[in-house]
Amino acid sequence: MGDTLLIIEDNAQNLYLMRFLLEKNGFSVTGVESGRAGIDEALRNKPRAILLDIQLPEMDGYTVAAELKKHAELADVPIIAVTSYAMVGDRERVLAAGADGYIEKPINPDTFVAEIRRYL
Amino acid sequence: MAKKWRADSAGRIKFLIAIMLLAMSVAGIQSAAAGNRLVTVGVYENSPKIFTDESGKPAGVFIDVIENIAQAEGWNLRYVSGTWGEGLDRLKNGEIDLMPDVAYTPAREEIYAFHRTPVLSSWYQVYARKGSGIRSILDLSGKRIVVLERSVQQDAFARLSGGFGLNATIISLADYRATFELVARGEADAAVANRFYGLRHAAQFGLEDTAVMFEPSDLFFAAKKGENGDLLSAIDARLVPMKKDPGSIYHQSLKRWTMEKIAVMLPGWIRIACFLTGGIILFITIWSFLLKRQIKARTRDLSERNEKIVAANRALASSERKYRELLEHANSIILHWTSDGRITFLNEFGQRFFGFSQTEIVGRHVVGTIVPDVESGGRDLKPLMDKICVDPKAFERNVNENIRRNGERVWISWTNKVYFDDNGRIEGILSIGTDITEQRRVEEELRRLNLELEQRVAQRTVDLAAARDRAESADRLKSAFLAVMSHELRTPLNSIIGFTGILLQELAGPLNPEQRKQMGMVQASARHLLALINDVLDISKIEAGQLDLFPTSFDLKSSMEKSIALVTPLAEKKGIDLKLDIAENVDAVTMDQRRLEQVIINLLNNAVKFTEKGYVLLSCRNDNDHYAVSVSDTGIGIRDEAIPALFQPFHQVDNGLTRKHEGTGLGLSISKKLIEMMGGTIKVQSQWGKGSTFTIRLPKGMMNAE
Repeated sequence: MGDTLLIIEDNAQNLYLMRFLLEKNGFSVTGVESGRAGIDEALRNKPRAILLDIQLPEMDGYTVAAELKKHAELADVPIIAVTSYAMVGDRERVLAAGADGYIEKPINPDTFVAEIRRYL
Repeated sequence: MAKKWRADSAGRIKFLIAIMLLAMSVAGIQSAAAGNRLVTVGVYENSPKIFTDESGKPAGVFIDVIENIAQAEGWNLRYVSGTWGEGLDRLKNGEIDLMPDVAYTPAREEIYAFHRTPVLSSWYQVYARKGSGIRSILDLSGKRIVVLERSVQQDAFARLSGGFGLNATIISLADYRATFELVARGEADAAVANRFYGLRHAAQFGLEDTAVMFEPSDLFFAAKKGENGDLLSAIDARLVPMKKDPGSIYHQSLKRWTMEKIAVMLPGWIRIACFLTGGIILFITIWSFLLKRQIKARTRDLSERNEKIVAANRALASSERKYRELLEHANSIILHWTSDGRITFLNEFGQRFFGFSQTEIVGRHVVGTIVPDVESGGRDLKPLMDKICVDPKAFERNVNENIRRNGERVWISWTNKVYFDDNGRIEGILSIGTDITEQRRVEEELRRLNLELEQRVAQRTVDLAAARDRAESADRLKSAFLAVMSHELRTPLNSIIGFTGILLQELAGPLNPEQRKQMGMVQASARHLLALINDVLDISKIEAGQLDLFPTSFDLKSSMEKSIALVTPLAEKKGIDLKLDIAENVDAVTMDQRRLEQVIINLLNNAVKFTEKGYVLLSCRNDNDHYAVSVSDTGIGIRDEAIPALFQPFHQVDNGLTRKHEGTGLGLSISKKLIEMMGGTIKVQSQWGKGSTFTIRLPKGMMNAE
């Protein structure tokens, strides 16, 4: 398991924000903008954790989480959903789909890195 | 019955008399069959001088005398029976030759001839019932006196009573027996009779002789004047020696008929007849007595019945009057009509109702008077009426249209009852009718309104269904909108809050104080916007029924400690003491932890926000089947009038002091709704200027029961 965190996020600003915060706190970050690319990257480099947005083009976060969990070699890689979906059951659906954690957007820069560390 | 019996006995007596008369005439004929000269002699009843004996033969002193003379003279005697008067008339008419026992009077000498030597001399005497009180002639005043018709004593008594100035009523009868019977029955007070008869018969009639005795008279055989002089001479010639000779038949006869009781030797059959008669009489008497009693009882019974009948009749008349009044004035139409449709009676109410008088309506046919040919609705009533006439029973209840004299159509509900006469033929139909025109109109109106209402309801249902569909679709739209908006609003907020945070952390380089201050203001605004979005989302979810609770078992005490920890930075910043007071027996519960914490944190945040000094206390008590969680503060408190609106959405207590406190105004509203969803309650107690206490009561079993 490498020290790199994988962020799957199609919004460039959000990706930038998270990457900035995490890199400033000593993490190395790989960012991809689609689910498919995320799965490929995860399988190729096996990141330390995966931060997964839910609303993604082509393949949504639930499907991506489910796909990732199908791979045994990724079983111990935590998936942390970072989402602006706050409707009923969203949190539960995400966890049911295979995510290990859930961080609601907008992320709080004061607590974000601490929250990520809880899942590592 | 008693009358019949009396009539029967009277008939029997008449029968007996007829037999006697027959026997007498037979005896007469037998006597006339022998001898040379036929001498007819009258016989009447004046025992013992002359009478008819039990065997039907003439007997008595005069008979003994004349038979003795006839025997000596060679006469054949023939007797003609009759009353005294009849005898005198027969003598006058020459039907008989001699009439015995005739008293000489100058008047009679004009009509009759007498011999010289009287056969007997007699006094007349008055006889009365025993104990009558009649003693002297004067006692006869005002009394009813019976005398023998056309007898000497009739005139003699008339003279006598006239002489004493008696005001007696004189009744004359044809024979002595009848006179005594009359007195015995009490229909007369006294009878006048010659002593011969009186002495012999008074006792048997219950009469006694009185001291009134008068008019001695000589009694002869009389002949018709100018005829039978030889017979009279012969009588004289034979009578004189007879009267002189004490042993003669004359004296023997006198002795036999006056001095001695006749030794009556009744034949056996007569005694038996008498015994039987007595028995019959006794029986009749007893029967009569019994009958009388029966009749009395029956009469009493009948009179009682009669009284009852009279009373019943009176009651009947009164009840009939009542019923008639009822019939006439009842608020119902009472109609009587024949089976061929003719009206025979219509009560007063009916007459007023239809507008006809009794004389106008009686005899007319129902159709064309009170029943129209055709109903307004088009139903032909003629066949209906005919059907009712033929079979009224089948139409015991019938509603049809009727018509008033003024042409007004009315609806009547009829009850038709058929009446039969004694022979089982239909005598008539009694119809009782009630005007239901108004009722029908109201019913019609009601029906119309109902129909209208139904139509309206149907239309409204359609409208509502459409509205519901629209609402449902709108609700789905709203949910979708909120989901999208939530996401779309959060995405830019992510940048704002995130980058502001990064800048303020000076990760991208140092800020000068002014930049730091401004960046702080941006961050505060962004956080407020985020809170607002979160609250709106919660309210929407709750109101849309889309907020589900996810109960889990957790430790209430540690959950509270966590909540306190979250609020601690703010409290410390304001210098407010945060206290926690949890009872020993508070432990694990099953609830939606996140939502409960949301509420508690909200209350704690509020408490800290509105408290400038003092403390905020979170306490928890185990209260039987409830947990009571309270958040108390020493803050500004809430005015009484503001409390009712406290839990309404978008409400924030508006006063000068609180204006500076940020908040969405949705926190308490959401908290209340969440607590209620969990089956609990939330209440507030507050004193203005002193602080507030919010208390949540949660049922321990709430989540388990779900």
